[in-house]
Amino acid sequence: MHFNSKDIDLYASQKDYVDTAVVPLIELDLTASGMKASAGASEYLQSLTVILEKQFKGRILLLPPISYVRAADRTELGEQLKKELSETGFKHIFYLTTDPKWRSVEELDNVLWLPAIPTGDMDQSFKKSVMEDQLRQVLPLFTKEWTHHS
Amino acid sequence: MSNNRVSRRQFLGYTLTGVGGFMAAGMLMPMVRFAVDPVLQQKDAGDYVLTDQAVADITEEPVRVDFTFEQVDAWYTSEVTNSAWVYKEGDKLIALSPVCKHLGCTVNWGGDPEQPTQFFCPCHAGRYEKNGQNIPGTPPLGPLDEYDVQEQDGFVAIGQVKPNTLV
Repeated sequence: MHFNSKDIDLYASQKDYVDTAVVPLIELDLTASGMKASAGASEYLQSLTVILEKQFKGRILLLPPISYVRAADRTELGEQLKKELSETGFKHIFYLTTDPKWRSVEELDNVLWLPAIPTGDMDQSFKKSVMEDQLRQVLPLFTKEWTHHS
Repeated sequence: MSNNRVSRRQFLGYTLTGVGGFMAAGMLMPMVRFAVDPVLQQKDAGDYVLTDQAVADITEEPVRVDFTFEQVDAWYTSEVTNSAWVYKEGDKLIALSPVCKHLGCTVNWGGDPEQPTQFFCPCHAGRYEKNGQNIPGTPPLGPLDEYDVQEQDGFVAIGQVKPNTLV
């Protein structure tokens, strides 16, 4: 489900079934040299999370991307996110990111780090097949988590 | 010179009739056009979306067929890709919607290795028969929706979604 008022109404009435939150983490790099790569990574991550949401609409709530500047303290941000999410009823929380700095942050479990693929210059059908390949890599991680802790 | 001399009265009469006729036509034409508009509306294959799946390649085993159309959401126009599970029943094409009737996940044909001839929803283990009938005891409460489907020049064209007519 998306983080909009219509889906949240449905979420509120179906809390038992929607037990997984997906949080995209996006680093904002606004320097002249890094901007394009940062935008590409953001585009990639958002497309991926949208098709992931489409596949698992009835079980995941896709939160809006958390964006932060390069200098942001990942550890602190991670702690804050974890605290906020712990007050909800989600049994499983996944963080998706292309930012390698999260790999060394111990606070968060289930951080799925994916290398960003620059999909911006691809044509529609090629982009779609690339994104579906990516999705196929991610899906088993979700189903595995669900079968292990349910 | 012609022998029919036109009098001033006649000349004015003709001119006024002509100009008046144009004005009346100018007003009436749009009205008539509005009135008959529904008849003139083009019916180009309804609202079917042509896919790149050849009908000849479709068997009794459901395959996923993607189709893309434009969707306008307030001021934001986007290309939306949807899929359908298409198979043949005899010679008849059948297209089922992949949207689970429980909470809207995407179902897969044979997604559960133990039930290779059923649709499977990975979210809460919902299952459907090949014709879309939901299997009692699994979370979904109704059968999968169906798409209008037809063959256009040898390719599958997918139309509007409708409630399942097979079960």
